[in-house]
Amino acid sequence: MTAMELLRECYEIQGKNFDKAGEVSGEIKVVLRDLGIDAAHLRRLVIVAFEAEMNVVMYAQRGTMTLIVTEEDINLETTDEGPGIPDIELALQEGYSTASDEMREMGFGFGMGLPNMKKNSDEFRIESNVGKGTSVFSKIRLPAHE
Amino acid sequence: MSELKHGFRINTEMCQGRMHCMRACPTRAIRVKNGKAHLISELCIDCGLCLTVCPTGAIAATTLTFAELDRFKFKVAVASPALFAQFGMSDTPESVGRALLELGFDAVWEYSVDIELIDRAIAACVKKWPGPFPLISNSCPVVVRLVQVAYPSMVEQLIPVDAPREIAARELKRRYSQELGIAAEDIAAIYITPCLAKTISILQPAEEEKSHLDGAVGISQIYNDILYKLRTGLTRENASRKFSFSGEMFHWGAPEGEFPSLSREHYLPLTGLTDIIKVFDDIEKGKLRNIEFLECHACQGGCVGGNLTVENLYVARSKNLRLVANMPRSVSKFEEEVQRRYAIEDFSLRRSLKPRKIEGETGDLRGRVLRRKKAEELLKALPMLNCGLCGAPTCKSHAEDVAASRAEIGDCIFLSPDRIVHLRALYLDHQDTK
Repeated sequence: MTAMELLRECYEIQGKNFDKAGEVSGEIKVVLRDLGIDAAHLRRLVIVAFEAEMNVVMYAQRGTMTLIVTEEDINLETTDEGPGIPDIELALQEGYSTASDEMREMGFGFGMGLPNMKKNSDEFRIESNVGKGTSVFSKIRLPAHE
Repeated sequence: MSELKHGFRINTEMCQGRMHCMRACPTRAIRVKNGKAHLISELCIDCGLCLTVCPTGAIAATTLTFAELDRFKFKVAVASPALFAQFGMSDTPESVGRALLELGFDAVWEYSVDIELIDRAIAACVKKWPGPFPLISNSCPVVVRLVQVAYPSMVEQLIPVDAPREIAARELKRRYSQELGIAAEDIAAIYITPCLAKTISILQPAEEEKSHLDGAVGISQIYNDILYKLRTGLTRENASRKFSFSGEMFHWGAPEGEFPSLSREHYLPLTGLTDIIKVFDDIEKGKLRNIEFLECHACQGGCVGGNLTVENLYVARSKNLRLVANMPRSVSKFEEEVQRRYAIEDFSLRRSLKPRKIEGETGDLRGRVLRRKKAEELLKALPMLNCGLCGAPTCKSHAEDVAASRAEIGDCIFLSPDRIVHLRALYLDHQDTK
């Protein structure tokens, strides 16, 4: 049985728009902070959201990020229309990156994005169709009710 | 935690409800209801912007008065380096120090050693820190409170090293009680403060420990008295007293100089709340991890630009630079004292800092989600003009206040046009009587 869903918010992410990169994760941060999510979980969530958003901005045309809060956990689902990931295992290795020089010059694409998201999630899953797009699921469990 | 205290008071008699404070407040902690400003205590970070913008002078810092100081047997002034940058180019720190004695202090503490000690303690802490980075300076109480209120996930990044003013107060009590045989309780360490935030950090430290300092006097409060003493000459007894100030002391009050021993590429100085908030937003998203240490001062220009200073920031900074350039550096006695104390003292923060509990974040997650949804629903009926006439700084805060049962939705003038009559009575008729 899954826990009761309390909140679902969906955000659009524009691909290739580095100006606005980080806005969606910023918004999610404010939502969760205002909901009083404790500091340690909030920190992990914000890192996951930011890395997920950056991946969409860097590689895809567009994407969406959905925040789902239940009584037991917080879920982030990021789905994009992008090139897809041919070898997910390879992409999850620290330091592996397909970022262009241009992206690196802007300070992104050091091959830490996906590994970092995985490290900060309690459950983490990637589904990808080469040529179509990628979906990343991340779950962070909340501490049990007192 | 006991009731939150603040470094200023709103004088309701004098308040004309003109909302400058409400609009300026970076944490949206002020509401103006029935023509009077009041504070949502838990959201206030004591930055003092409200005090600076109030057109009627209704908001005043709660520093100590000289009369209150008289209850202490032995009073020692710990002067912020910003103090020495307030006077003329030819007024030396020594003469300002002597003027403090004339005003009734029994001693003026040589603060530069404490500043140097904390500088070293911070460098050592940064070197050992396992992460997360960047570490954030905690000497500015506004920055600490901003993190506690708005960036709870970054609280552990506030560097766990005490502020130099605290270390100074601890040491001066130890030293004077030993040298002069006075009980430590009879010695008062009084901080000469450039801002109201440091008065609150003494009254109610963010780490919930008792401060070593006993109170604060604002620079603007004693500026005229010091200037008078400087211009009319000092009595012979105090004129002959020797002070040894070293140039190191003047780093602390200005940005880009607090921690000269850290390497430039890993260390970032920041001043001004607006810029600090921008950078903190980035850090919370996981950016800036290559920066080891952020030195943050809420006042534009650092402590020399504090809200209880008198001199224009740029003139003060120029004086500050001149003092730094002209002071003897690394006198061997100074270095000896630093090494002696560094070896035996503990500089760590006595308790760890925690995020501040905010009302509206209490109750269970379900209740908080419902309140949020209600606020979103309410917001749809509001004009998004942020006119402030409801008494909240933005339509969004009004919606949140209503959802949290702190306000009535009908306080919005668009929903209750009749309210203009009430407001006219409050504001226009009020002016007629002037």
